[in-house]
Amino acid sequence: MKNNIRSFFWVTMIFALWQIVYLTKTFPEVLFPSPTSVITSLLDAILDGSMIQAIGYSLWVIFMGLFIGVFLAVSFSFLSIRWEVFESFIRTCISIAHPLPGIALLPLIILWIGTDSKAIIFIIVHSVLWPLALNLLTGFQAVPEIYIQVGRNIGLSRLKMMLHIYLPASLPFFISGLKISWARAWRALVSAEMIFGAAGGIGGIGWLIYKNRVFMDTAGLFASIIVIISIGIMVENLLFAFIEKKTLKKWGMHS
Amino acid sequence: MRCRIKYIVFLIICLFVIFFNIGCTEKQEINDISIAEQYGLAYAPIQVMKERQMLEKKLPEDTIINWVKLVNTAAIRESMIVGDVDVGFMAIPPFLIGWEKGMEWKISTGLTCSPIGLITYKEDIKTLHDLSPQDRIALPQPGSIQHILLSMAAEKMLGDAQRFDNQLISMSHPDGMQALIVKQDVSAHFTAPPYLNQELKIEGMHQILSGKEAMGKDFSFIVGASTLRFHDNNKELYDIFFTTLNEAITFINVHPQEAATLLSEIYDMSPEETLDYLKDMEYTTTVKGIFEFSDFMVQNGYLEHSFGHVDEVLFKGVAYEK
Repeated sequence: MKNNIRSFFWVTMIFALWQIVYLTKTFPEVLFPSPTSVITSLLDAILDGSMIQAIGYSLWVIFMGLFIGVFLAVSFSFLSIRWEVFESFIRTCISIAHPLPGIALLPLIILWIGTDSKAIIFIIVHSVLWPLALNLLTGFQAVPEIYIQVGRNIGLSRLKMMLHIYLPASLPFFISGLKISWARAWRALVSAEMIFGAAGGIGGIGWLIYKNRVFMDTAGLFASIIVIISIGIMVENLLFAFIEKKTLKKWGMHS
Repeated sequence: MRCRIKYIVFLIICLFVIFFNIGCTEKQEINDISIAEQYGLAYAPIQVMKERQMLEKKLPEDTIINWVKLVNTAAIRESMIVGDVDVGFMAIPPFLIGWEKGMEWKISTGLTCSPIGLITYKEDIKTLHDLSPQDRIALPQPGSIQHILLSMAAEKMLGDAQRFDNQLISMSHPDGMQALIVKQDVSAHFTAPPYLNQELKIEGMHQILSGKEAMGKDFSFIVGASTLRFHDNNKELYDIFFTTLNEAITFINVHPQEAATLLSEIYDMSPEETLDYLKDMEYTTTVKGIFEFSDFMVQNGYLEHSFGHVDEVLFKGVAYEK
């Protein structure tokens, strides 16, 4: 709670400073709009539906990408537990692909996949898959030997070993991997949308920023950035905190 | 607590110092000019001016001339706001958007009237009516002249100016051409010479809309705009620059053969091909179509308001067509 109050204090300070700088008229309005015009612009965009549509579209695309990415990462990690050869293959893939920013793949993706939402999903899957797979592999290795022996003793099948021993035991790794994946996916999404434009009819939040830029709507630009920050904070500080509370803390797994 | 307050004060002072420094980076030198342009045959007079060193010959030796090539109009506008660029070349719609948002600039000259066209490879698309909501249209950016012309045509033919606004994809001319050729998800490309001519030469590509059809008359494709700061503080340099530009335009019109040879190297085409494309272009200092663009953009919400008198957007003495 104390932390929240402090954060609130700092946000207010930033707004106050912003207003003061605005009032000094050091910069033209087009470079530095007032906080009030930014908030008006934000409300307008929410009320006329364009902001909601953009947020909805972006979230839909990112969850598609996250879902596919998580599915692939879990499958790859399962296979690595089953066959050691596969693990070395996956580890090689990770060391090649993990440091590569999704946006760097852009020219190739345009040639191979085109420019619609599939291309953005591809970039998100790329951002999600490698950090998550890496975390899962590390997590599986950290599962205490005794758990595995217990599982074998009571005669669990391979699939059940995965679902009831490996996955729950490496949950902290899974969740922290998911956090990294989300952060990377969110950044990749916004940049990809600014380049690809309105994929499939409606554009997402990145496209909204781009449109604000070309129409020189600086207040709208700030408004979109505030929305991006808010969604980032909500997911990282609220959604993930909630998941951790319900799982890791409840089960006493939090380190 | 005292310690914390000290920190806060320190932080605020730091921020102020940073902000005010950014605000003070206006250029001090007087004998220095920066010109921004983009890619395409529409900018030929500028290329001629550069290649023949026409400006250098007229200016004192210590004058610094910066030629900047930027990828899109938004970047040119942004550079002009912060004072990195004095003269920028672009179409009328992006100029008006900047003007409406309070940029201190005016048009100094017309440059080019050019054919521009919407090209598709899809056989079943003959007119705008045949474009489905799934067909994506590549053009430089929303708010560009291509976008406004497309909206004009959409209003005329389909009764809805915003009809295609959600199926645009922003691409530079070369990227758009590439995307059209691979026939994946870009169905149509709104472009200008030489890309226009090159696309039309490809088997199966055809034009479904021309700029002239959309507008109903000739219009300036590119104009030159200057910041008031440059115009007011460097009047002499300003005059020399635009007189020289006028001479470059005259040179192309009087010696097209020679100009084509010069330009062919820059655009990596044969002189014959270049000459052929040059025939379609009209290089003129007269600004055309500014009223039509302004009225249409206000009526359809691309601008909130526009100029009352033409003097607000054109410098004194600039020729324009009503």
